[in-house]
Amino acid sequence: MTECGVWAYAVSAEIGPDRLAGLTGVAGQPVRSVTGDGLAAAVSTVSMAEFGEQPLRRRLEDLAWLGATARAHHQVIEALAPPVVPLRLATIYRDDSNVAALLTQRQADFAAALAELTGRSEWGVKLFVGQSVAPATPAEPDLPGAGPGLSYLRRRQRQLAARDQARQAGAATAQQVHAALGRLAAASQLRPLQSAELTGEVTAMLLNATYLVDDAASARFAEAAATLGRQHGVRVEITGPWPPYSFAVLAPREAAS
Amino acid sequence: MTEPVDVPGRRIGADPETVQRGLVTLVLTVVELLRQLMERQALRRVEYGDLGDEKVEQIGATLMALDERMRELCDHFGLTAADLNIDLGPLGPLLPPADQELMAA
Amino acid sequence: MSHPVPHTGDGGVQAERIALVDLLDRVLAGGVVITGEIRLSIADIDLVRVSLQALIASVSGGFGETRD
Repeated sequence: MTECGVWAYAVSAEIGPDRLAGLTGVAGQPVRSVTGDGLAAAVSTVSMAEFGEQPLRRRLEDLAWLGATARAHHQVIEALAPPVVPLRLATIYRDDSNVAALLTQRQADFAAALAELTGRSEWGVKLFVGQSVAPATPAEPDLPGAGPGLSYLRRRQRQLAARDQARQAGAATAQQVHAALGRLAAASQLRPLQSAELTGEVTAMLLNATYLVDDAASARFAEAAATLGRQHGVRVEITGPWPPYSFAVLAPREAAS
Repeated sequence: MTEPVDVPGRRIGADPETVQRGLVTLVLTVVELLRQLMERQALRRVEYGDLGDEKVEQIGATLMALDERMRELCDHFGLTAADLNIDLGPLGPLLPPADQELMAA
Repeated sequence: MSHPVPHTGDGGVQAERIALVDLLDRVLAGGVVITGEIRLSIADIDLVRVSLQALIASVSGGFGETRD
């Protein structure tokens, strides 16, 4: 018999069986719930041959496997009724009793996190340099008598200066927009900028941020983001609502038992 | 053409042409990185003003020739500026993306 | 609960697939991390290592590797 573990997706107050019916998780496994102390964790049984530490580390470097597993993990979390505390990808327990023990031990922390996330969703905002912007190198007549080498250096100096200026302007815009949107959210977080190769985008990314927004205010938030983009002449991309991955935090534990 | 080697989730094309192209890209990326660093350093020295006119002209001419040579090499191998960049994940791209405009000209 | 989708400010919603890079950024670097003996397997994934190797290899394709 293959050794098994328990993959945990998220923790919630209660998980109705109707939510789990027909739901498929990682490795095509069915999803069920483990309860403890008024909380419920959505889990799947997984084989340690695929999800033990060694095989898991190898698979995490395989983008195809990682992508499929991440989507499966996400789809289960999305299927649950909010508020939900998502767990990080690849949180695996020995068995159900360990999951139940987790819920009991951290009951207060999970309850606090759920309260904080109630009625809120995560929204991602990215800013890109506007299409029309093409930093033109200011043309300057070469100095009379200047050799080709010196002229080249001057040209490069102007190009780099123009580029630095454009970069500073972009950073200032990002800062202003992030601050303005932050004021409309319960919490915000800056994420690393994504390279053009990864995103396939034509223009440079100026801001990649994520915000925890009250569901009742989400339409207004999206509108504000679009408006700010127009005002600053930058392209805005908004994604959401996401489960609150970036804002799921358990208060730091006291010394482990 | 050699058989692809099977690695879980990933096949490595081991034919000579593919390997060579990968190496060329890598080498030219390193050369381009060095070229940009040298150029920035030279510009700082020139700005600082402690070099004679002749020296400045010499440095400028050398850098210009180096820039031209890089463009020729990339043209020859059918590489664009974007091909020369390496994404270091959280550390960002190896080369500043804006410079791609200059190489693409 | 609706799927996270690119959302245009004027109220339109495009039903496109979630960008993998956005999803990975969230599930690998977000979500609660539990430490302790009862947890069997890793949840503290080294994002730098995973993203560098997996993403460079798949995106650049210039080092003689092809995807299945």
